[in-house]
Amino acid sequence: MIGVASEPRTAGTVVSAARIQMFAATVQDGNRSYWDADFAVRTWGGLVAPPALLMGWLTPLPWEPGGRPPVSAIAIRVPLPGTTFINAANEAEFPLPVVEGDRLTIVEEVVSISPEKQTKLGVGHFVETMDTFTRQDGAVVATNRNTLFRFTPAGSS
Amino acid sequence: MISWDEISVPMELPEVVDEITYQRVVMNSGSTWDYFPGHFDPTYAESQGHPTIFVNTMHLAGFADRIATDWAGPDSRVVRRKMRLAGSIYAGDTMVGRGRVVAKRCATTVDAPRYLLDVQIEVTNQRGELCCPVELTLQLPG
Repeated sequence: MIGVASEPRTAGTVVSAARIQMFAATVQDGNRSYWDADFAVRTWGGLVAPPALLMGWLTPLPWEPGGRPPVSAIAIRVPLPGTTFINAANEAEFPLPVVEGDRLTIVEEVVSISPEKQTKLGVGHFVETMDTFTRQDGAVVATNRNTLFRFTPAGSS
Repeated sequence: MISWDEISVPMELPEVVDEITYQRVVMNSGSTWDYFPGHFDPTYAESQGHPTIFVNTMHLAGFADRIATDWAGPDSRVVRRKMRLAGSIYAGDTMVGRGRVVAKRCATTVDAPRYLLDVQIEVTNQRGELCCPVELTLQLPG
């Protein structure tokens, strides 16, 4: 699984003002690029997707019609013994702004899996992944390098 | 909002303090569609060794971006962000963000010069524990 790029997966919905503003409200960010359509269109070509919400556009809803199981991130799909996970590190680059109406596609790749490590949280493996996000015209808008700790909590068996 | 010429290095950004209620943590799942139970189910969080539910990576990233762009203005843009999740921010905690500009550079590209600032941000909790060190690069309009 390491070093093999996943099949491209395209977001079920386009970048929307509702989700932009729901996230900005979560963070309590009053940036006009998220709230003021006139300003955002003039400056960026549309309301801007907050860079921090990048992974959210390709996160599936927890339920989909027809009983289809949602596709989780590749770092979760790698078979490993840990019973839970927590994020350890993230590095993202944003070559181009993402705006309202864009539809994003992700290609994911596992970069590395660490040997078993003991941390204060428990025993597990660090899974490093690299995601590339493109928009509808094929331009790369973001890359996302993430390290997830897949572990079994200390004290549980 | 600040202009390129006014920026000296190093320069401190205004401190941002944000009280994280249960509602704010639960808004993580609503806005990011990240329904990992550690972000909405205190019983699950406790079973994993946490005191209660905690904010997700996207929320911490958004807090760092907010600190940078509130200061630099809405025509600035985050072009890179590197963060380490050293400790969790739990419901009931207060997040404190302190940033400083550590470098100012004008990158020449084929199109136009890019005006870039490197900013270091430390997100701590109300006990002063470092939960999330961030390195971030902002692009300014010039």
